[in-house]
Amino acid sequence: MKTRNFKILLIGLILIIISLFFIINLYNKPFIDIKKSNPKIEITAQEILNDYQADESLANEKYVDNLIQIKGEIADISFDNGISIITLKDTSGFSSIICHMLPEANLNILKLKKENQVLIKGVCTGYLIDIMMVRCVLNNDNFDEK
Amino acid sequence: MTILMKNKIIILLLLLISSQLFSQERYLTKEGYISFFSHSLVEDIKADNYQVLSVIDKKTGEIAIQLLMKSFMFKKALMQEHFNQSYVESYKYPKATFKGFILNLKELDNKNGTVAVEIKGILSIHGKEKEISTMANVQILKDQINLSGHFMVEVADFDIKIPIVVRNNIAKTIKITFDLQHKSYK
Repeated sequence: MKTRNFKILLIGLILIIISLFFIINLYNKPFIDIKKSNPKIEITAQEILNDYQADESLANEKYVDNLIQIKGEIADISFDNGISIITLKDTSGFSSIICHMLPEANLNILKLKKENQVLIKGVCTGYLIDIMMVRCVLNNDNFDEK
Repeated sequence: MTILMKNKIIILLLLLISSQLFSQERYLTKEGYISFFSHSLVEDIKADNYQVLSVIDKKTGEIAIQLLMKSFMFKKALMQEHFNQSYVESYKYPKATFKGFILNLKELDNKNGTVAVEIKGILSIHGKEKEISTMANVQILKDQINLSGHFMVEVADFDIKIPIVVRNNIAKTIKITFDLQHKSYK
């Protein structure tokens, strides 16, 4: 009888430890690794801008929260408050794509200039008067070509 | 060309013309900063948004702010997920806006340094509107208007429902901090 109670107690304890482990793991769930993950959508700057200007909510359904790789021409590079921002050109309008880069991309950004063609991978958050991208990195192909 | 597109082009042209006419009066930022902070006994939660769009008309003191809820960055992925999916329902209400006035902005033109001003307007989050009045610091430079400060909002005012399980983790009153550095635009 005593050993049976002990066994139940032991199993119960193990179950609690396992579930605690899962809860803590879930709580600390990491963000996806942008650099290592494959983009869900590959697109040019003009294509995504056209989609947003045609129908914003439809474009939101397609792009928001997804890892996207955009090919475009640099309109501007800025370093504000320790964040580097690359703006991609809208060749047929007054909008743009504003990409907030992850700090790990900083070193490579120094090698870039305005009007360079780049591949930028990041997460789309939506559209104000520009398309907004967060947690962006530069695709390595940008530098292999040179 | 559809009628919708024609209308959009006309609006854009009108905007362009009006911005040409009042070019010295409009100030804009596309990388403003707004954060919110929730303090509770269980945990502190902070989220930063560096993609805030804000426009000030210096002549009238009018200010319009827009941001994407998805652009709030959290320390933990799970918090960000819950915030967007369950609390503010970003897929339904992707933007938060503020439209209002900086009172007596014109009279501050000749003052140097940072001055306290009152801002009044309508804050819209999660599809719900609420009138807000707060003090802020404004600094007027040659081609720049800097606006910063903070105010408190009640979560309940915006019909945001927090599940009972995490009720103790999230404060009922949230502190919102802003730092918007507008530049004049041509």
